[in-house]
Amino acid sequence: MADAVIVVVLLLVAATATAAVATRDPSRQALVLSLQGVVLAVLFTVLQAPDVALSQLAVGSALTPLLIMLSVRKVRRRARTTDEGGDG
Amino acid sequence: MTRRTALAATAELAAWWAAFGLLWLVLVSTVDALEVLVGASAAAVGAVAARAGRRAVTAR
Amino acid sequence: MNAWILAATILLGAGLTAALWGVASGPLSRRMVAQNLTTAVACPSLLLLAQGYHRPSYVDLALLLALLGPVGTLVFARLLADELAVATPAAWGLTWTAAGVSAAVVVAVCAATGPSRAMVKLLVTGVLLIGGNLVASRALQGGFRQVRGG
Repeated sequence: MADAVIVVVLLLVAATATAAVATRDPSRQALVLSLQGVVLAVLFTVLQAPDVALSQLAVGSALTPLLIMLSVRKVRRRARTTDEGGDG
Repeated sequence: MTRRTALAATAELAAWWAAFGLLWLVLVSTVDALEVLVGASAAAVGAVAARAGRRAVTAR
Repeated sequence: MNAWILAATILLGAGLTAALWGVASGPLSRRMVAQNLTTAVACPSLLLLAQGYHRPSYVDLALLLALLGPVGTLVFARLLADELAVATPAAWGLTWTAAGVSAAVVVAVCAATGPSRAMVKLLVTGVLLIGGNLVASRALQGGFRQVRGG
């Protein structure tokens, strides 16, 4: 009966990962990945691995979405300048 | 840097250092001499960073 | 399986499912509010799990999430500010409900811990959690725009 929380969190991990794959736009995907990071950290906690959960929180909640958003911004900015350079 | 601003800077750094040191002592599991030493060092670094952050945000 | 773990299971199941539904569908404003909701749901459940597993060290996880969760929301609010300015998310009812749930969980866990340094740590975590939730909600509504220019 104590495994119920593990089952619930595992189902949430599966659902979140499916939603992350199904999202197309990278900036929206970053939002889903932020949620997935927190859900993974909770999974590691209920599996009695708090140190792993600590590392996962540190990386997955703020750092990974920041990296993705900055990359998207940089790529879009570069695409915009090459468009302007090509036309002009 | 005039004497008044130096005094104000020192007072602000001391206030940040005291606040962070107190937070450290509250959050740590056991309090012994090594923890107090590490906490004082970490609070000093944090005080410098906090003062720099506050000055950057208020644009002074 | 004691009452604490059961409460954590219910909170996680209901809260994170709602957050997932909000993040994966709908306009950007709803997605941002749902992302803000995840830390407000996951942090109290981590406190409940720490109490249920009799491991006071798990409170460190809740403390870290209370600090980093609002930072994640602020990252999105800053980098998606242009798109958010068009459709401002307004979800103060949800924010206050989340703050109420957080406060109730913190009070319950503090009562179970008893007066000690551990209880002060729980109170600090609760203050950071509720304060971070309010700051992140206000940032989503564009309340801190004037700081960006300076």
